[in-house]
Amino acid sequence: MFSQLFVNGLIAGSIYALVALGFGLIYSTTRFFHFAHGAVYAAGAYLTYACWLLGLSLYIAIPLAVIGTAILGGLIEIGVYRPLRKKNASSLILLLASLGLFIVIQNLISLIFGDNTKTIRSGAVTEGLPIFGARITPIQITIIVVSGLLLLLCWVFMKKTKMGKAMRAVANDPELARVVGIESDQVILFTFTLGSTLAAIGAILISLDTDMTPMMGFYALLMGVVAVIAGGIGSIPGAALGGLLVGMAQHLGVWKIPTQWQDTIVFLILIFFLLFRPQGFLGRVVKKAAV
Amino acid sequence: MDYILHILILINIYIILVVSLDLIAGYTGMLSIAHAAFYGIGAYATALLSLHFQTNFLFNMLFGIVGAAVLGVIIAFPSLRIHDDYFVIATFGFQMIVYSIFNNWIDLTRGPLGIPGIPVASLFGFNIDNHWKFLVLSAIFAFLAYLLVHKLVNSPYGRVLKAIREDEVFAESLGKNVNSYKIQVFVIGGAIASVAGNLYAHYITFIDPTSFTILESILVISMVIIGGAGSLRGPIIGAVVLVILPEALRFVGLPSSVAANLRQIFYGSLMVLTMLYRPQGLIGEFNLQK
Repeated sequence: MFSQLFVNGLIAGSIYALVALGFGLIYSTTRFFHFAHGAVYAAGAYLTYACWLLGLSLYIAIPLAVIGTAILGGLIEIGVYRPLRKKNASSLILLLASLGLFIVIQNLISLIFGDNTKTIRSGAVTEGLPIFGARITPIQITIIVVSGLLLLLCWVFMKKTKMGKAMRAVANDPELARVVGIESDQVILFTFTLGSTLAAIGAILISLDTDMTPMMGFYALLMGVVAVIAGGIGSIPGAALGGLLVGMAQHLGVWKIPTQWQDTIVFLILIFFLLFRPQGFLGRVVKKAAV
Repeated sequence: MDYILHILILINIYIILVVSLDLIAGYTGMLSIAHAAFYGIGAYATALLSLHFQTNFLFNMLFGIVGAAVLGVIIAFPSLRIHDDYFVIATFGFQMIVYSIFNNWIDLTRGPLGIPGIPVASLFGFNIDNHWKFLVLSAIFAFLAYLLVHKLVNSPYGRVLKAIREDEVFAESLGKNVNSYKIQVFVIGGAIASVAGNLYAHYITFIDPTSFTILESILVISMVIIGGAGSLRGPIIGAVVLVILPEALRFVGLPSSVAANLRQIFYGSLMVLTMLYRPQGLIGEFNLQK
């Protein structure tokens, strides 16, 4: 029982970590909560479904959908956020705009595809391989491995590459980054496409394992937000830790508490962190009201 | 005719919601997306009390107000420590927790099944049992809510709130107890919003958790922001427009599922456009720019 719950928590946690990572990277370079990230996530799953409907095999549909989602993320940045930044909009304005975008994209998806559950699973549902007394299907193993690899890749990318360093520079101090000749607009655009790519991969993985509904993005975003705040915004190990914490709290909590309360536990964690450790496990101290 | 009355009653209910949220978000600068939680507390208090204890309209309202005031203290608490977008996230968390209580505490709230058969409101032995009477009742309370918030924000008290909105540290330096003001504002705003819930429950006579979701909270904050936070006329116009315009979609002959999506797309895009071209809203004074 315990090992099964642990594995379930690990699977859910991997997906939350991917969402949290993209969301956190975007926050750290732009300093606002990109709520529309949840809708971008759902778009990733539905683009795959659309390509699959057109008769493409999943091996072609998935890369196409990932590219499409990355483009969507970039378009949101160019079309809405960049003009707002040019007007020196505050983080609240950007946040409200992203709430609006979230609602628009999510409803477009449900307008086009309908509210009922869609699936891109192929073949029969198999029982899964027994590992340490838990059952895990090949696709679930893929979820854990791919997420782990992506987190590691991003970590190396941020430390070693020029773009990664530029992202950290912009996150640290946008003014100073501009002084040393870093095109912050380019860097932010890149961050949006990267974050959206990660979200799309997470969404596609989860819809290969279970199903998709237009509301899936909202749910993933909620969990991602909690993960990112618990882990510490902008920190890659933090996103991974936060994702795992949320996944584990949800699934191990079921051990002692009735299932329907598993999301409530997650939000209690959120409130706890916001009140007592808003910078998360591994993050920097957040701003206070200043003179 | 009943249809038009129905729209007018809804507008009154939303006016109560927007003026109370405007007090919190527009005048004091605490952007909250937990307003549907207060609305829901009022509605659930009304439904449960009047079904189990046959209590009357005013008693239900009083009880809802007390419940919402307690919740107001709890939700205000993070605002003492965190600000701006982090505070928005905290209210987001509270909204989800309250919703999950409505949805999951099956023994009390019947969960997703909702609570049917709530008796109609009765005031001093006089049953408010048709649309006309209810319109008058809701208009009275909408007017009272407006009057209360109007008096508050145009008094010295309201000037302190605006000072907190513009510069918290400065307000504190003038010897104002900022923390206490913030809690009071949430208690008052929440209490007013619970009255809207009370009216809604007595009017529809059926409630379920789907009326008090985060999307409802986002709708109410959209009305305030699009209309113009920090003025009273603006958010009221916002409420009227966002209730009426989507209804127009019905007359184009769209199926109701499509209309529901279009309605949300409509106010979502309006929100984005407002932020892009007029962040202070239609009439507002608070331009969210700190």
